[in-house]
Amino acid sequence: MNDPVFWDRLQFAFTVTYHYLFPQLTMGLAPILVYWKWRALRTGDETYAQAARFWAKIFGLTFAVGVVTGIPMEFQFGTNWASFSRYSGNLIGQTLAMEGMFAFFMESALIGALVWGERRLGPRGHFAAAVGVALGSWLSGYFILVTNAFMQHPTGYAVAADGRLKLESMARYLDNPWAFAMFAHNQLAALVTGSFVVASVGAWYALRGEHSRQARLFLRSGVTVGLLASILVAFPTGDIQAKMVASHQAPALAAMEGRFHSGADAEINLIGQPDVREQRLDNPIRIPGLLSFLAFGHVQSDVRGLNSFPVNTWPTNIEILYYAFHIMSGLGTVFVVLMVAGAVQLWRGRLEQSRVLLWLLLSSFPFPFIANTAGWTTAELGRQPWLVYGLFRTEQGVSAVVNSGAVVFTLIGFIGLYFVVGLLYLSLFCRELMRGPVAASHD
Amino acid sequence: MIEISYGILVFMLTAFLVLDGSSFGAGLLHFVVGRNETDRGVVISAIGPLWIWHEVWLVAFGGMTFVAFPEVLASAFAGYYLALILLLWCLILRGIAIEARGHVRDALWREAWDFAFASSNLLLATLIGVALGNVIRGEPIDSQGNFTLSFFTDFGVHGQVGILDWYTLSIGIFMLALFSAHGASYLTWKTEGAVHDRSVRLARWLWPIVLLLLLGTAIETAAVRRDLFTGMIHRPLAWLALAGVAGGCVAALLGQRRRRELTAFVGSCVLISSLMAAGATGVFPVMLRSTVVHENSLTAYTSATDAYGLRLALIWWPIACVFAVGYFVFIYRYYRGKVRVKADAQGY
Repeated sequence: MNDPVFWDRLQFAFTVTYHYLFPQLTMGLAPILVYWKWRALRTGDETYAQAARFWAKIFGLTFAVGVVTGIPMEFQFGTNWASFSRYSGNLIGQTLAMEGMFAFFMESALIGALVWGERRLGPRGHFAAAVGVALGSWLSGYFILVTNAFMQHPTGYAVAADGRLKLESMARYLDNPWAFAMFAHNQLAALVTGSFVVASVGAWYALRGEHSRQARLFLRSGVTVGLLASILVAFPTGDIQAKMVASHQAPALAAMEGRFHSGADAEINLIGQPDVREQRLDNPIRIPGLLSFLAFGHVQSDVRGLNSFPVNTWPTNIEILYYAFHIMSGLGTVFVVLMVAGAVQLWRGRLEQSRVLLWLLLSSFPFPFIANTAGWTTAELGRQPWLVYGLFRTEQGVSAVVNSGAVVFTLIGFIGLYFVVGLLYLSLFCRELMRGPVAASHD
Repeated sequence: MIEISYGILVFMLTAFLVLDGSSFGAGLLHFVVGRNETDRGVVISAIGPLWIWHEVWLVAFGGMTFVAFPEVLASAFAGYYLALILLLWCLILRGIAIEARGHVRDALWREAWDFAFASSNLLLATLIGVALGNVIRGEPIDSQGNFTLSFFTDFGVHGQVGILDWYTLSIGIFMLALFSAHGASYLTWKTEGAVHDRSVRLARWLWPIVLLLLLGTAIETAAVRRDLFTGMIHRPLAWLALAGVAGGCVAALLGQRRRRELTAFVGSCVLISSLMAAGATGVFPVMLRSTVVHENSLTAYTSATDAYGLRLALIWWPIACVFAVGYFVFIYRYYRGKVRVKADAQGY
C-alpha cells in the first residue's frame, strides 16, 4: 500500500468518475435544449420556451460542477502522472490544449447568456447561445476522446531519439478510428443519460399531477430521444467498439467475457463469477457461439482466451473489468426494453395514464449514470496494464517525486470535498425540481 | 518558434491573472465592501456570470504548457504537488460558493457561502503570489529535472528551499495587496451605491500601499534573483514592459483620483500585465531555475517539445485566439455598464 502507483490510479479513477457524472448530463441535455429552443423559435409555443428555461438552470448548475471538478483532471496529468506527460506530452498536449482553446472558451463565454440572457438576447440570440454551448460541450468531448483514443490505440506518433513519443502526423492522430467509434458510442451514451433524466422528471410531475403540459413535453422528448439513443448506443456503435476491442485489445475482450481458455464457438456469458485463480467462470449462463459471432462475424470463429496471452499483458483487475462490462451491457439491454415500452404507450397516447411505466421511468434516472461509469471502467481497465496501449505501462507513468503519503492525503481531501459538492448539487437540483418548470423566471 | 511559444504561455497566464485577479480581488473584499446581504449580492453579480470564463484561461494555460513545454509541466506540477492541489481545492470552493449562494434565498445560507467565497478568494490571491514568488526564486532541481518542495524549510532562499520563505511570503503579501487594489478598481467601475463608495475609499489607500510594496519587492527580487534585472538590460521588450508598469501605476492612481473609473481599472490591468511581461522577459529563457546547481535549470530551449508538434500548435493557436477575441468582445458588450441586481434574479 506504500506503492504510489496504486494511489495515483485510485485518485485519478475517483476524480474522473465523479467528474464525468456531470458532463454526461450536460452533453446529453444540450441537444434536447437546442431542439426545444428551435421549436420555441419556430412555433412560438411558450411550453417549449418554459421547458428550455427550466432545463437551462439545471444545465448551468451541472456545468459549473463539471468545470470545477474538471480542472483537477487536467492538472493531474502533471501532478500525478508527470512521467506520462513527459513521454507523450507532444501528442496528448495538443488535444488537451485544443479543448481549452476551442471548446471551453466557447462554452464559458456563452453559458451565462444561456442561463440568464433570454430577455436580453431575444429569441434568435438566445437560440444561438444554446447552439454555441451545445457545440462547445460536444467539441470538448471530442478532444478528450481523441486523447483517450490515443491511449487505447496509438496512431500518428513516432518514437524520438530519447525514447519519448513525438507527433508524426496530426492528421492520423486526430483521425484515429478508435476516436470516432468511441465518440459515437460515448455521445449516444450521454444522450441516454440526458433523455432518461428528462423523462424521469416528466414522470415525476405526471405522477404528482403537476405541470401537466411540461410533464407531457418532458415525457415525449425524453422517451423519443431515449429510444433512439438506447438503440443506437448498443447497435451499431457499441458493436463497432466491441469489434475494435476484439481486434486490437484481445486480452481485454477475453477478460471482459471471463474467457480463460481459447477455442472456436465462443459463448457469451450472461451471468457468472470469474475465478481468476482457478481460471474458470463459476455458475455461468451461456449462449454458445454468440461471442464468436459478435466479435468476428461467424459462430465458429476462434476467440482467444486469457491463457493464450502472457500473464504480464493481462488486464490487472479482471474481476471488476468483467462486472463493469456486464453491468454496462445488461443495463443497455434494459434501457432498450424500457424505452420501447415507453414509446409504444406514448404512441398510443396512454403514457401519462400508465402509472407503472411512469414509476419505472421515474426510478430509471440513476441507471444511465451507472451504465456510463461501467462503460468507462470497461474501457480504462481493459487498457491495462498499459497507459499507452502496447507502448508504455501504467506504472511507468507516475510522478517519481510524489510519494504515496501525499497522494493519500489529497485523495482523502478530494473525497471529502466532492462529498460536500455532491450533497449540494443534489439538494439544489431537488429545489429546482420543487419550484417547477413554470416558476423559472426569465432572467 | 520557441520564443513565440514562451510568449504565448506568458500571455495566457497574464490573461488569467488579470481576468480572474479581478474576481479574486473583489471576492476577498467581499465582506469589506458588502456589509449586508444586498451589498454582497452586488459583489457576486459583478463576478457571477464571469468566473467560469476567467477560470478557463488557467485551463488553457495548462493545456498550452502541456503541448509546448511538457518537461516544465511534468517537473513543476509534480514538484509543487500539494500546493497545486490546495490551489485546485480553493478554486472548487470559490466556484461552488458562487453557485450555491445564488440558488437559495436564505440569509443564513448566503452568509455561510459568502464566508466560503471570501476566504477561498483570500487564499487564492495569496497562494498565487506565493507561487509566483517560488518561480522567481527557483526550485531545488536535480540533474533529472525533478524536484520536491516541502512547505517550509529554514525560510531561506538558497539551496534546499521550501514553498514558504521570507521572499515568497512577501510576494504573496504583495499580490494580495495588488489583487485587492485590482478588485477594488474593478468594483468601482462595475458597481454603484454603497459597494461603489466603499470600493472608492478602499482603492484610495490600497493603491499607495501597492506602490510601496512594489518598490520593496523589486529590491528583494534584485537580491534573490539578480539575473531577472540584468536580463532586462539588453532586451528592449523589457523596457517597454517597464514603461507599462510605470504607465499602469500612473493610470491607476490618476484615474482613481479623477474618478475615471475605467481608466483606473485599465491602468490596473496594464500594471499586472506589464509586471508579468517584464519578469518573463528578464528571466527568459530560464523557465524553472535550479537553486542548487545552475546547470539543472529548465530553459525554454531544453524543455520545448518536438519541433513539428510545436509548429502545428502555433498554427492552430492563432485561429483559436481569433475566436477568443470574439468571445471577449461579446462578453464585454453583453455585460457592459454597471451591475444591476433584480429582485427575482437569484443574485445575478
